[in-house]
Amino acid sequence: MTPPPGPLRVNGRPADLTGMPDSERLLDTLRWRLALKGTKEGCRTGDCGACTVLVDGRSTLSCLTLTREVDGSDVTTIDGAADDAEIARVSRAFAAAGALQCGYCTPGFVVALAGLLKERGSSAPVEELLDGLQGNLCRCTGYAAIVRGVALARAEAP
Amino acid sequence: MSVAARSDLEVKLAGRAEYGADLELPGMLWGALVPSPVAHGKIRHVDLGGARALPGVVAVGADDLATLLPRGQGDAERPIFPADEVAYRNQPLAAVAAPTLAEARRAAAAVRVDIEPLPALVDLESEFPDWPGPDAARSPHIITHVHARHGDLEEAFRTADHVVEETYRTSSVHHVALEPHACVASVVGDRWTVRTTTQTPFGIREDLSLLLGVPEASVVVEGTWVGGGFGGKGASLLEPYALLLSRAAGRPVRLALDYRQEFELGRTTLPAVIRLATAVKAGRIVGRRVRLLLDTGSSLPGRDWSTGYSIGFLLGPYTTAAFEVEGYGVRTNKPAFGPHRAPFAPQCAFAVESHLGEVARVAGIDPVRFRADHLWRDGDTTPMGQAVGPFGLGAALAAATAVADRWRAEAPADHGVGIGLGFWSTGTGAGGEARLVLTPTELRVEQGEREIGSGSVQRGLVAVAERALGLPPERIRVDYLSTADAPFDSGVFGSRTVGALGRAVVEAATALRADLAARSGVAARDVSLAVEAGEIVCRSPNGRRTVRSLLTAEEASRGIVASGRHFAKSNTIDERRVVAGSFYPFTDFTGAAHVAEVSVDRETGAVRVERYAAFQDIGTVVDPATARGQVEGGIAMGLGIALTEEALWSDDGRLLNPHLLDYRIPTLGEVPAPEVTFVEGFPGAGPFGAKGLGEPPIIPVPATVAAAVRDACGAHVTELPLSAERVARTLKLL
Repeated sequence: MTPPPGPLRVNGRPADLTGMPDSERLLDTLRWRLALKGTKEGCRTGDCGACTVLVDGRSTLSCLTLTREVDGSDVTTIDGAADDAEIARVSRAFAAAGALQCGYCTPGFVVALAGLLKERGSSAPVEELLDGLQGNLCRCTGYAAIVRGVALARAEAP
Repeated sequence: MSVAARSDLEVKLAGRAEYGADLELPGMLWGALVPSPVAHGKIRHVDLGGARALPGVVAVGADDLATLLPRGQGDAERPIFPADEVAYRNQPLAAVAAPTLAEARRAAAAVRVDIEPLPALVDLESEFPDWPGPDAARSPHIITHVHARHGDLEEAFRTADHVVEETYRTSSVHHVALEPHACVASVVGDRWTVRTTTQTPFGIREDLSLLLGVPEASVVVEGTWVGGGFGGKGASLLEPYALLLSRAAGRPVRLALDYRQEFELGRTTLPAVIRLATAVKAGRIVGRRVRLLLDTGSSLPGRDWSTGYSIGFLLGPYTTAAFEVEGYGVRTNKPAFGPHRAPFAPQCAFAVESHLGEVARVAGIDPVRFRADHLWRDGDTTPMGQAVGPFGLGAALAAATAVADRWRAEAPADHGVGIGLGFWSTGTGAGGEARLVLTPTELRVEQGEREIGSGSVQRGLVAVAERALGLPPERIRVDYLSTADAPFDSGVFGSRTVGALGRAVVEAATALRADLAARSGVAARDVSLAVEAGEIVCRSPNGRRTVRSLLTAEEASRGIVASGRHFAKSNTIDERRVVAGSFYPFTDFTGAAHVAEVSVDRETGAVRVERYAAFQDIGTVVDPATARGQVEGGIAMGLGIALTEEALWSDDGRLLNPHLLDYRIPTLGEVPAPEVTFVEGFPGAGPFGAKGLGEPPIIPVPATVAAAVRDACGAHVTELPLSAERVARTLKLL
């Protein structure tokens, strides 16, 4: 018998999901139940990437994920940037590259890139990292500054 | 020149910036709209009973307005909920609020709507098959007629060596700001407060005052961080419904669009049909005839600005001996036409640039040289009779031509290189005021705009203050105040923030300097500010004094306050050239010349942009990093208009592609990193001769891509976007 999963942990803390309906999406759990508004709601159909979080280190669209699906996992969001070395490094690179304007897509980009760097390591070719960000939309920057930010984050990864 | 980073990056990267979509107040209800199921129809009955029977639900409709609004509706022509007739599909007929979003949606679905459908006008050309024949003018769907002419056009066309006549069609494009519209309203007593994601807090206040019939002093609009605007967050949309719901519920109400509604309810650029005719004699343009049929959606007669504003762009930045422009705004069953980054100008530039390229070919002249020969120069007047003034487009084109020649020499044989031009002007709006507050340790810029992403407020105004007073940027902070506390400003639109509000900042800085000089007993020019040992000090020939020591007792808690204003100085056009309708003068002229290298798939028609370069007339660069960001972003958005973005409707007015999957904006792999060059030295209306930059970079993009596609494969595409299908059809591959 598999033991029941432990509680969901968000940015290192156990999440209180008392009374949560089974149909609740992870995005809504984060934003409205746990008041972690750093993760952004864009399309809610998986097309824009603004809601990207890490589930056990893997880049995940929180709008298409039921919270019950990830019971027992570690979820990392932009709100936990200070405690996650990879997210913190990517954030610094994006700031240095000026890789954001309105900033609404930014948490998704930063978390997705941090996930890619965790998964593939800093030796991954930059083209591979950029390919991995194709599902994140930005309307302000034209991506040019984001591409500069990705190169910088990769160069500064250990 | 400073290259200081924007001070909003940190809060945004930490996920701590609160956007409209993030707003939450204790005890708030969640709102939802009840959409019209048809695009046009007569309302028989809207029954809110089913919604009101649900627990905790508040519902408001047309019948409730008289009791909810102290003086009844403010604007009879723009009822908040229609009582008689529906003008477009999904038009809100009622609004509901409930303790959760799911309950609000159930309540909205429980509202019974009984509407007698009427025929909908969706496709412009179905109504005007013979346009520009005389029938169009008699149509009841025409809400705007603009007409201007100058010179002997008939003679020009009669005696021309070549006459080229073409028809262009352009499509509707959405803003696709990633943050959907969202607000939280809270009505207490006679104070109507709304926090909202907006480009124009004061514009929203004025609009709400008109719609709700309450004085402006009773309305407070507080902006949030804005997750992209692009013109789509420049007028009230959800705020009236949220305020009515809050009034009825006695509690705060959150109302937000989901992304599908964002497509369905957004007010944006709509389709147009453009007919252009040009007469050439001895290599010179001697006559231009321009006709425009513009879809203005459900805009009201007398309230459409778009037709008269945009038609000037169809003449392009070119001289002509004689011309005639005539445009009709057509009321259709869609949401009203609304501004989308340089409203309709990229589409106009596509038509006029592609057309003049064709004219040059017919006349046997190089298309770039032909355009260069007719460009406006300082000292010229526009066809509408306005003096041109300093205009850097000629210099930009010369630089662009050199790059295009080099790329053409380097490119593989199946690639094409094209050049496109565009012009714009720095908007002023109704004007603006700024307050500077100098404290012992910092300078605050108090103002009423919100940063929408471009950096024009958060970095642009700081850079202006920095340059005017010589303080370092880390000592200058922008304060965002609600309409109750901020000095008036029109808001973020028309590329006007640095150009117009920046002028107010300069004026306030001048007043501040004069004030400090008086306190120091010297002339204003002899005063400078600096930071020493953490304190701001005022230096003058009489020595140095800390700001702290200059404060009077009354100023001790706040600081030294100085105000500046900038209200539009209207330029003029030659009104004798206007036959009918309104045409608008420009403030200054700014130009952009772009170069694209593309490849075209010879089996599918798919276009790929390989290289891109932009040469931007800017007057003076106020901040290099943000300026570059505007050009890079504008190019990407323009590539969407050029290649993939197109709203599609069914004949009965249903938007067919209200998703990011079937309405495709450019993605990370589809936009080449552009080469960006600024052309300085042709001063504009802004501080230090700066010109507005938010909009100009998007304007030449579709024209540039179309020119490159034609160069690559010979396809002369006359409709936007240049989708693979359109290119393939033009090449007769389909």
